[in-house]
Amino acid sequence: MPSADAPLPGWRQRLRSAPLVRLTLGLLLLTAVLLPLADLSITTGAPWAELGRMLAGFIQPDFSATESPLHALALTIAFAFWGVALGVALGFPLALLFNRSALLRSACAFVRAIHELFWALLFLQVFGLSAVTALAAIALPYAATFARVYAEILEQVERAPGDTLARATDRLSRFLYVELPLARQRLAAYTRYRFECALRASVLLGFVGIPTLGYHLESAFRQGRYHEAGALLWIFYLLIALLPWWAHRRLLPLWLLATPWLLGPWPAVDFTLVWQFVSVDIWPPPLRNGDLAALPGWLAGLPDLLPAIGNTLLLALLGTVGSLAVALVCWPLVSRHFGSRPSRTLNGGLLIALRSTPELLLAFIFLLLTGPSMLPAWLALALHNGALIAFLVARHADSLTPGMPGLRGLDLYSYELLPGVYPGLLALLFYRAEVIMRETALLGMLGVATLGFHIDSSFAWLQFDYAVALLTLTALLNVAVDAVLRRLRHTAERGGRRTPVPGATSFN
Amino acid sequence: MRWLSALALALAAGSVHAETFHFTAIPDEDEARLVERFERVADYLAEQTGLDVEYVPVKSYPAAVSAFRNNQVQLAWFGGLTGVQARALVPGSQAIAQGVEDAEFRSYFIAGADTGLAADQSQLPEDMEGMSFTFGARTSTSGRLMPEYYLRQRFNASPQAIFSRVGFSGDHSRTIALVAAGSFDVGAVNYKVWDAAVADGRVDSDEVKVIWQTPPYPDYQWTIRGDVDERFGDDTTAQIQQALLSMSDPSLLESFPRSGFIAADNDDYAPIEETGQALDLLRP
Repeated sequence: MPSADAPLPGWRQRLRSAPLVRLTLGLLLLTAVLLPLADLSITTGAPWAELGRMLAGFIQPDFSATESPLHALALTIAFAFWGVALGVALGFPLALLFNRSALLRSACAFVRAIHELFWALLFLQVFGLSAVTALAAIALPYAATFARVYAEILEQVERAPGDTLARATDRLSRFLYVELPLARQRLAAYTRYRFECALRASVLLGFVGIPTLGYHLESAFRQGRYHEAGALLWIFYLLIALLPWWAHRRLLPLWLLATPWLLGPWPAVDFTLVWQFVSVDIWPPPLRNGDLAALPGWLAGLPDLLPAIGNTLLLALLGTVGSLAVALVCWPLVSRHFGSRPSRTLNGGLLIALRSTPELLLAFIFLLLTGPSMLPAWLALALHNGALIAFLVARHADSLTPGMPGLRGLDLYSYELLPGVYPGLLALLFYRAEVIMRETALLGMLGVATLGFHIDSSFAWLQFDYAVALLTLTALLNVAVDAVLRRLRHTAERGGRRTPVPGATSFN
Repeated sequence: MRWLSALALALAAGSVHAETFHFTAIPDEDEARLVERFERVADYLAEQTGLDVEYVPVKSYPAAVSAFRNNQVQLAWFGGLTGVQARALVPGSQAIAQGVEDAEFRSYFIAGADTGLAADQSQLPEDMEGMSFTFGARTSTSGRLMPEYYLRQRFNASPQAIFSRVGFSGDHSRTIALVAAGSFDVGAVNYKVWDAAVADGRVDSDEVKVIWQTPPYPDYQWTIRGDVDERFGDDTTAQIQQALLSMSDPSLLESFPRSGFIAADNDDYAPIEETGQALDLLRP
């Protein structure tokens, strides 16, 4: 770790010339200062009986317990596939305009800042439990993400070939004949990565009632039917592990033809209800009735915002730093520079399990172990996101060729590879921090009152005006944090060596 | 475009099949093989009423309420509080039947043996103060509303002020698991789920004890939309109600799980509505 060699003679000088070390130390310092504010108490009870049952279920999965696992599996894939397809269809044109319109950039940041599950809860009110709800909940935030990341990729395309074109060449031709061919590979790589994310999102949609794998997984897990839950988890791990094969480029036309028939059910939309929802339900009654005197009363009905915002930000920070630690430890486990082929396969499986298990499940396991506090949420976020980053960093490290011969083990890690991958790792981390902040929303069951916990409550109480107000606040907070992260990411990308960071934009 | 035309097609198809009568139900425990079990209930209702009846699986009570409101289901098996929410959203809808057990439902407060709280007390013990506590789902009548009501009545303070920590486990089975594991000291559960867990040996009653039970209150009920007679024929509501009340096959009833259904109406749930409003959980 670069910070390890900080206290050398002249360390002040070194620190000044090492922005990444400064960034990392700053992050650690901030965490250390704020840590006492976090509620991290440990209550140990007698979790072993329950954990034993979970383990037994995982080791002896019962594949016949779920009624229609194949249908759930097919639906999971179909929603992910078409959610991404619609996201690309919508996001690509936006990417071309992205750098020209500040309004578009803000709109995209806003849309992105709301978790897929909350989009689903919104659409659920209007489209019910239907394919439209599922597809829109994936496609909309993904379109906003594609718009930004595609724009970034296109921006990084080499300028020279374009400069040879006649000046009068129109934008579209320039794009079609120069930029697209040059960027195609990275665009495809990013889209593939997002597809894996969409599979996870599709599973999560089951948690609100869309009948994907998550639907059955959540009920089985919640009610302690661990043999069934274990089987569903294994199915999902295999789906992710075999992704490169079943979602191969050549098979795409097949999926394109086979999956539309799986989507459903399609809703019969009642437009009076839609109108009622959009024009009445989501607005605070004082604003709707023009009765501004009643506004303070309405605001008093909101939950305590300051602790909620504080908890959200603190958990996001802890989750980010935790992910950094997990990623630093885990990436060598699956890199070609270390270990043997069997060890890498085994570790690869472990990382797949960590990054594919929904955080909610991880958090529940830690809740049993450590009792209710911010700690299980922290561990769940750190392991899940750290494993994801580790996997991408390992890919980056695999593309590096060490220059010094004979370096092995820890020396190879610290002197050759880490300096090479660290800028990329930090850039990935700051991309992911935005996602981590969104995910803090899902961990309300631990008794940690984040903003997301209150949003979820508002939906449960059908108080859509409060839900939308809190969602807006969360989105604005996310946009603000994202602006800070963007600056940090630029520091990370510029710092270290001026080598391009292949992983960085292929990640969000 | 493919998507749009599929959507248009589906919307058209939706109106053709409009005469199918949809219902949903979430049992308060054991959701295993839910579809299979409730499709048999659908067959029974179809046989009794001559309607084309279909079961719609729904995950949570809030989702069931939205499905009811959006007319995706015309009949639903709701909890006490969610039924009140649903009937407020869909004017004209009525409660038509409740389980035999639901006229006098109860919540149990349970605690781990190592908390030192004694079993079967005559009132909520003061020693609970400062311990950690978990409700079930947020809008559960037996896992949230009534326990919170009685907590406030006893301590004259909010749960957050009484306990060191208040969680929402999301489910009765999970509340039991969390209290058994010692993650939370005390929890509030639906008495039927508790009794079933004890009967199945899923919980060791030496490790976890019932420390207090609430007085009885009305809970789960069948609620039907007000516009079904207009849509499915004049006496649809009466027919459905009759079919529910005369359901006697134990294999159907155990899905809910109830020993039978008795008639109910909206007024039976006035106490629940008042409690919800008193706790600021429902808007007047």
